[in-house]
Amino acid sequence: MDPKLIRNFSIIAHIDHGKSTLADRMLEMTGAVDKRDMRAQILDDMDLERERGITIKARAVTIWHTFKGQKYQLNLIDTPGHVDFNYEVEKSLQACEGALLLVDASQGVEAQTVANAYLAIESDLEILPVLNKIDLAHARPEEVAEEIENSLGIDATNALAVSAKTGQGVTAVLDALIEKVPHPEGRVDEPLRALIFDAIYDEFRGIIVYIRVVNGTIEEKRNYHMLGTDKVYEASEIGRFTPKMSRTKVLGAGEVGYFISNIKALGDVRVGDTISLHKGPKVEMLPGYRPPSHMVYADFYPTNTGDFEQLREALETLKLSDSSLDFAPVTSEALGFGFRCGFLGLLHMEIIQQRLEREHDQDLIQTAPTVNYKIQLFNGEIEEIQSPGQLPDPDKYERIMEPISRVTIMVPSEYIGAVMQITVDHRGDYVRQEYLSATRVQLVYDIPMAELIFDYYDKLKSATRGYGTMNYELRAYEAGDLVKLRILVNGKEVDALSSVVHRDHAERRGRSAITKLRKEIPRHMFEIPIQAAIGGKIIARETIKALRKDVTAKCYGGDVTRKRKLLEKQKEGKRRMRSVGNVDIPQKAFLAVLGSSEDDK
Amino acid sequence: MDAVQSAPPGTALYVHLPFCAAKCTYCDFFSLPAAGQDLDGVLEALLAEARMRAPQQPRTVFLGGGTPSLYPAPAIARWLDALDDLIGWRESATEVTAECNPESLDAHKAEALLEAGIQRLSIGFQTLDPKRLELFGRVHTPAMSFAAFQNARSAGCERLSVDLIYAAPDQSDEDWRRELETVLLLAPDHLSAYNLTIEPGTAFARWHARGDVQSLEEEVELAQFHSARDLCRQAGLHAYEISNYARPGQECRHNIGYWQNAQYVGIGPSAVSKVGNRRFGNPRSIEPWKRPVLRGESAAEWGEELDGPARLGETWWLGLRLGVGLSAVEARERARWSPLDGEPDRAEATAEELLGQGLLERDGERFRLSERGLPLADGVGRRFLAP
Ligand SMILES: Nc1nc2c(ncn2[C@@H]2O[C@H](COP(=O)(O)OP(=O)(O)OP(=O)(O)O)[C@@H](O)[C@H]2O)c(=O)[nH]1
Ligand code: SF4
Ligand SMILES: [Mg+2]
Repeated sequence: MDPKLIRNFSIIAHIDHGKSTLADRMLEMTGAVDKRDMRAQILDDMDLERERGITIKARAVTIWHTFKGQKYQLNLIDTPGHVDFNYEVEKSLQACEGALLLVDASQGVEAQTVANAYLAIESDLEILPVLNKIDLAHARPEEVAEEIENSLGIDATNALAVSAKTGQGVTAVLDALIEKVPHPEGRVDEPLRALIFDAIYDEFRGIIVYIRVVNGTIEEKRNYHMLGTDKVYEASEIGRFTPKMSRTKVLGAGEVGYFISNIKALGDVRVGDTISLHKGPKVEMLPGYRPPSHMVYADFYPTNTGDFEQLREALETLKLSDSSLDFAPVTSEALGFGFRCGFLGLLHMEIIQQRLEREHDQDLIQTAPTVNYKIQLFNGEIEEIQSPGQLPDPDKYERIMEPISRVTIMVPSEYIGAVMQITVDHRGDYVRQEYLSATRVQLVYDIPMAELIFDYYDKLKSATRGYGTMNYELRAYEAGDLVKLRILVNGKEVDALSSVVHRDHAERRGRSAITKLRKEIPRHMFEIPIQAAIGGKIIARETIKALRKDVTAKCYGGDVTRKRKLLEKQKEGKRRMRSVGNVDIPQKAFLAVLGSSEDDK
Repeated sequence: MDAVQSAPPGTALYVHLPFCAAKCTYCDFFSLPAAGQDLDGVLEALLAEARMRAPQQPRTVFLGGGTPSLYPAPAIARWLDALDDLIGWRESATEVTAECNPESLDAHKAEALLEAGIQRLSIGFQTLDPKRLELFGRVHTPAMSFAAFQNARSAGCERLSVDLIYAAPDQSDEDWRRELETVLLLAPDHLSAYNLTIEPGTAFARWHARGDVQSLEEEVELAQFHSARDLCRQAGLHAYEISNYARPGQECRHNIGYWQNAQYVGIGPSAVSKVGNRRFGNPRSIEPWKRPVLRGESAAEWGEELDGPARLGETWWLGLRLGVGLSAVEARERARWSPLDGEPDRAEATAEELLGQGLLERDGERFRLSERGLPLADGVGRRFLAP
């Protein structure tokens, strides 16, 4: 395939602006998918994607479009819009020369429109702004084009307007992609270099490696070297996504497709790695990807302590297809052996937890999400604190530092006051404010990450009636007046329940935590005190009253089996809890303890 | 289902007669209003089933239901005669009980039942409060309950039991004490007092789900439980099981067998049997039970056979319901547990642990529920059960 006849692009946008729907129309209009096989957001094929109506994983597809009598190969990558999956966007952009920046013409420029556009700018891609949903009565394409220019400095005067729903204007977009997006630069006769931009594990076929050929040609039956992991595999199948996997035996420079070699060892494939011909000419590695910066951490423990190795395997498999996930073994006195996992955000955390449970059959106990802290010792050394339970006594360190995020919020200007207020409540500092148009404004704040993951986003959504959108990135670690909030159950400190909080919030959060625990922990045959403490000082206390009556009135020959099964079932329920001392704490309690709730306002 | 396994001679026999005058609102037994039903057909099928698998020379016989007293006296008598021809119970049984309800225990019926060989009558009073009788869906008055009791006594019944339910919606402890005191004045030989339980599938469960009736506070139920124990003790009835009280020697031997995890054969729809280590049960429906038994086949629709450790756990759970409790040796015997069952006897260690927590107490070799453990019997029982 002549690279001059290839165009590679990602569709990027804020969440819900219509990327996957536009991909649908492109697949349909170019005949990649039959009309009768079509369904909405066809590329969102993961259960969780369909349930939630969002894209979680980027998907690559090859389509063919004829322009001025010439047939072109277009490799499109549909990307997720949610901020928690922006690593998928980053990965996709590196396999492309162009980005189609889609903006909902009724909503306008939102936080992830800007964030994702900047990713494309940083990667030096040709950006094609496209206004979507022009079929909507309240679409305001002119104003939104102006917002694009103001926020991104991209010329949007001639931005194409489409309706991904009806298909209006989509052919013009395909034509424009061919005209504007540069063709790939590599040549098919150069030494091979291919970028691994994604991978998934298939039970039967081993790892399916997603590649973008940068230079040269890759073909079946030859041996290839993965430079980073230093592994050699023979290509048993090469093909492209149409969107189904279809075998082509060969892929040339500029093309996007897959490579299969029945690879079973998860560690042998690393996303971002470079593939070259084994024993071929030496080539330089492609730049690959910068490591993801994790915002949120939580621990996963197997409910059944014996399932630790299975959990590790499940996490490794997931990490293969989601390299933004990170994990390392951790031990908790209360919960045993588990993994401390780093995520890009709370939704990412939730999705990983659900994928572990559904796709890998793992039964988990998850701790409440926290951020990473650093402590500065008296000798000046800096130590990272992996979990609040590890925080030493205050006299052992000079100060604690917490991650501060730079938060960008886009919101209709009438909500500025409301946003200000919740930001101050969450220890945020004002940075700047810019008008995008007469009615919409971009606000920038520095807010401690811990506050952000606590409930800032929920509060923002409700304070702005859903209009406020937000993007954030890690800016720095800064010292704060932070203390460790210890939780004692039946007189015993439970490490997995403790947290780091700001001193001013300690009492309120402590009270809220034990109120939640009182609701979550079932009554036992004895009374259970629950306390929140800072250092040695108890700041709040609750008591779970003893269960005093738990007895079946009637139990005769005909009832024995049924009543026994009932008791066994209740006992099975208890097994899903963790015993700390002699108190059974339900799985949910570990996660719930930190969440915000109505009663701690 | 699998082939019928016959129980050894002497095994307890339970007979389920599924009809009642009306369905009570709290009841989850398999029982149907008698109107329009083929009462004789059920007797015939019961005989067929007895022929197939009733134990020879049972030591106890229990006619339960449903309401056995609902049957005309001659029909019961004839049926008992036929049963005697099959298994010779009249000579062997030391306790023969029939459950009765006030509306169907007139003087004549009481006499006829005793005449036919029944020794023990258990009358369902449930409550003496007319409003509550109505809430319970009972078709008799308090006066009829007293009359039925009198009829049984006059007929010469020396083993007379009364059933009561407490902790009904809105019932106070005082109210319950008054009711119980009145019943105790009748000097029954045996009394069963049940905390009202909302069983799934009953009218009560529906009302409860809708919020039309509320369960009592735990504290109030607990007070009533203790009231029952106190008043019965004062009246000379000792608590030999969680809900059962008796004058010494008047305990229900048939039921004690259940709590000792002994063998029993149950015939009739919904009846359960335990033969060897196997427990199995008939369908909770007339036709699916009747059809196979009339063909001479087992009607059992489910069965289970627990492994050694599970049997042991079950034995402890059941055994601790009894006032005398049980010893580790007794438990192993009753569970037919042997060290060959693979796993060590963990139950004994559990008992020791519960002893340490004050939920059990020790009487010689035997463990029994302590004062505090008694109302927590399920929590204690759970500790012995799988998984
Ligand atoms: N009226 C109208 N609705 C559209 C149009 N395009 C998309 N939608 C609707 O917008 C919603 C979001 O569409 P998606 O295609 O899932 O959006 P997305 O950008 O892929 O979302 P994420 O992948 O989660 O970031 C869906 O309900 C679509 O039906 C359009 O042109 N007109
Ligand atoms: S009389 Fe007894 S068996 Fe019949 S419905 Fe009432 S409680 Fe149930
Ligand atoms: Mg999408």
